[in-house]
Amino acid sequence: MIVGITIITVSILVNQITKETFSKNNPGLDAVVGAKGSPLQLILSSIHHIDIPTGNISYQNAKKIIKHPAIKSAIPISLGDNFQNFRIVGTNKSFLKLYKANLNSGTSWSKPMQAVIGHNVSKVTKLNINKFFVGSHGLIDTGDIHAEQPYKVVGVLNKTGTILDNLILTSLDSVWNLHSDENKGKLEITSLLLKYKNKTSAFSFPRLINKGTNMQAASPSFEISKLLKLTGNAHKIVDYLSMFIILLSFIGVLFTLLNNINERKYDLAILRTLGFSRLKLFSIILSEGMIISIVGSTFGLIFGYLIYESTHYFSIVGRSIELGQLNFLNDLFLIWMTVNIIAFITCLIPCIKVYKQNIRTTLLNS
Amino acid sequence: MFICEDISFDIDGQKLFTNINLNLKPQKDLLITGPSGVGKTTLLSILCGLQKPTNGSIIYNDIDLYNLAENEIDNFRGKNLGIVFQNFNLINSFTVKQNLEIAANAIGNKSSDQYFNLLDRIGLADKSHIKVANLSIGEKQRLAVARAFVGEPQWIFCDEPTSSLDDKNANIIANLIKEESSRCEASLVLITHDSRIQTLINFSEILRLGEEL
Repeated sequence: MIVGITIITVSILVNQITKETFSKNNPGLDAVVGAKGSPLQLILSSIHHIDIPTGNISYQNAKKIIKHPAIKSAIPISLGDNFQNFRIVGTNKSFLKLYKANLNSGTSWSKPMQAVIGHNVSKVTKLNINKFFVGSHGLIDTGDIHAEQPYKVVGVLNKTGTILDNLILTSLDSVWNLHSDENKGKLEITSLLLKYKNKTSAFSFPRLINKGTNMQAASPSFEISKLLKLTGNAHKIVDYLSMFIILLSFIGVLFTLLNNINERKYDLAILRTLGFSRLKLFSIILSEGMIISIVGSTFGLIFGYLIYESTHYFSIVGRSIELGQLNFLNDLFLIWMTVNIIAFITCLIPCIKVYKQNIRTTLLNS
Repeated sequence: MFICEDISFDIDGQKLFTNINLNLKPQKDLLITGPSGVGKTTLLSILCGLQKPTNGSIIYNDIDLYNLAENEIDNFRGKNLGIVFQNFNLINSFTVKQNLEIAANAIGNKSSDQYFNLLDRIGLADKSHIKVANLSIGEKQRLAVARAFVGEPQWIFCDEPTSSLDDKNANIIANLIKEESSRCEASLVLITHDSRIQTLINFSEILRLGEEL
């Protein structure tokens, strides 16, 4: 029972974490425009900073999109480097407004090679105001560093509970400066984060980009819902597995109690001769079964929660998961209640057996 | 007052005994005797509310036992009757003290002083923490007798309490039953075919079961 409840608890938590993380990381963006490739990859790399980008797009072309009448706001981002696996994002200051981020200390960048770091970045790397660091080429730490041009930390952000906590923000110029050899005079960005003026553009604008340009426009909500549907199926399989384990535990509890009663039927008959009523023995056996069930299911929840807490700890290191509120408690309580109600019904079987026991026959047969 | 009216019991359509009538006044002792197989133990089970008779009624102080619901019979038995079974019916996995405690617990009596006095009187005070499985036959019988008196019942029923004991232990048990019955002012109903018991306890009434048939 402990194993079953633990698995189902972890499954609920992971499901909750996944949904919550994806939801919190997207501050109402309608589309992301980037290089052609997998739209899901574009969303994951540009908003959730999990996957690698599909490529780069021309900044000239991006500026045309920014000026398009259907666009309310457009924020360019440029990826390419990291510091200790924290991604360095070249962008403009609208990015901070997008996530409603406030500075905990320092200021925002005002010239190239100045950086504002997220809460977790500061916590893990121990970077702080006026400290310098050098970025590594690529999105994971490979050791290929830009030693000649260090960044200076000018600001540290407050915790936002979003992916922003795990990012290092700088101006687009910083990224372009570091990669001027690769650019060969052509400025490029990774993607544009868009909000439409009118939601109806969600149908026409992507078609315009996808058919009329060498770029693609992807919808974060559409791509993430597709992803959640896929992971949801995996969660369902895990849930069925845990339900099967819980079912086995019910059968285990039932047979343990029946076996226990069978071994103690003589003692139970003696208790009746001493004055214990059938009802009292019924309640004793029921209590025994329910104690097993309540303790088992509670320990399952505790173990599941410990795994949740461990994930929380490792998420700071792993950066890709940010845990939020305990919204899942209702679901867990519902499962705990359901398990114990079924356990109660299961326990009634041996209890009824005890209730119907014939004392004299039992004592004679002993 | 304890009255049995026309008690009969059938097994598989065969009559084991019929029309047994008893009228036992308070603090009077009854001996039920007879050869093996005449239904002495079955009669004791009927008198204690453990086995419903085929016919007849059993009345304790105006309470018709088998007119009570089964839970009420259990409660009545715990509070008013003490039973010493032929095979002791002790809980072997429990200690001496626990066997007395559970009996007291059945009737809601939580006083521990009583157990120590009782254990002292039966000579098992120094074995109170020993498991029943490790006691001798004589010690088990003494404990079984002590347990029957835990609730200070009005009626005590003993089924062959001395038949498996040597003379010395039979004497101890008979004296114990006599003393405890007298202390509790209980009526004693004793079933036996052990002739030694009649020399040890003076019964006011005797029912010879084989002769009734």
